[in-house]
Amino acid sequence: MNMMTPPPLTPGLQPTTRLTVLQGQARVSAGPRVEFSTVLGSCVATCLFDPEEQVGGMNHFLLAEPPAGGQTVDEHYGVYLMELLINEMLANGAAKHRLRANLYGGANLYPGMAQIGSANASFAKTFLLRERITLVREDLGGNSARRVDFRPASGLVRCRTVANTLAPEERPVARPVAAVGEVELF
Amino acid sequence: MTKTTRVLTVDDSASMRALLNHALTTHGFDVAQADDGQSALEWLQLNEVDVVITDINMPRLDGFGLIEALRNGTRHRDRPILVLTTESSDEKKNRARQMGATGWIVKPFDATKLVAAVRRVSH
Repeated sequence: MNMMTPPPLTPGLQPTTRLTVLQGQARVSAGPRVEFSTVLGSCVATCLFDPEEQVGGMNHFLLAEPPAGGQTVDEHYGVYLMELLINEMLANGAAKHRLRANLYGGANLYPGMAQIGSANASFAKTFLLRERITLVREDLGGNSARRVDFRPASGLVRCRTVANTLAPEERPVARPVAAVGEVELF
Repeated sequence: MTKTTRVLTVDDSASMRALLNHALTTHGFDVAQADDGQSALEWLQLNEVDVVITDINMPRLDGFGLIEALRNGTRHRDRPILVLTTESSDEKKNRARQMGATGWIVKPFDATKLVAAVRRVSH
């Protein structure tokens, strides 16, 4: 009995499973039909891709790092979501030294307000540098919202500017204290 | 005079090491850092420590390998080891427990809870 899997259809002709990556999320897939999408204002999305393993992932963070003296690092912060994304990539077979990164977002949508977008963009670039992950493409800054579509299995990315009204409201959602940093002593 | 508690943090993320260093030093701990399990073992050959806090996913030697090496060794076999990880699976948590980890802390960490856990296992 022939147990070989039939060859896949041309990826472009296959129906796409589109998954939205929301603020505070990191998602990873090797599915050839999966497409990650997100809309960014001052937030930044990182797309990581391992070309050998053909697996990719995207995160979407609201803020770079907690303020000095801040007690909690939660999923709103890039410093956590970057690690979460890298760990998910490694768990799915990627190797850190092979990772290629694209960065998007970091716009300053409203003049006169805090330049959160610039801070996010700067953090993301510094983080990749510090972690020795190659940045192959960036579309950061400016004052327009962006929509990013990413095919994790091929590494293909499409980034377009969209109306600023489409960007999600960029506001941290408070979580119950008990949900942060759960500790279990054995 | 009270002895300062010395903590070794093991994490391949420089950013996470910096956050841990800040959270622990501001609460009076003496902090040493290693960027993976192998570096931690090399450091521990020459140094003493009260508590080890380790990530799981790391190059060269991961957190499980580090726990195993410490528990199978002699010098640090009774040292408390806290796992600090983004992993949320029960399978990995149980594996850490069976290998001899002292506790399991899920990232993102809360500094107050982390410090309380370190104080508890170091006394």
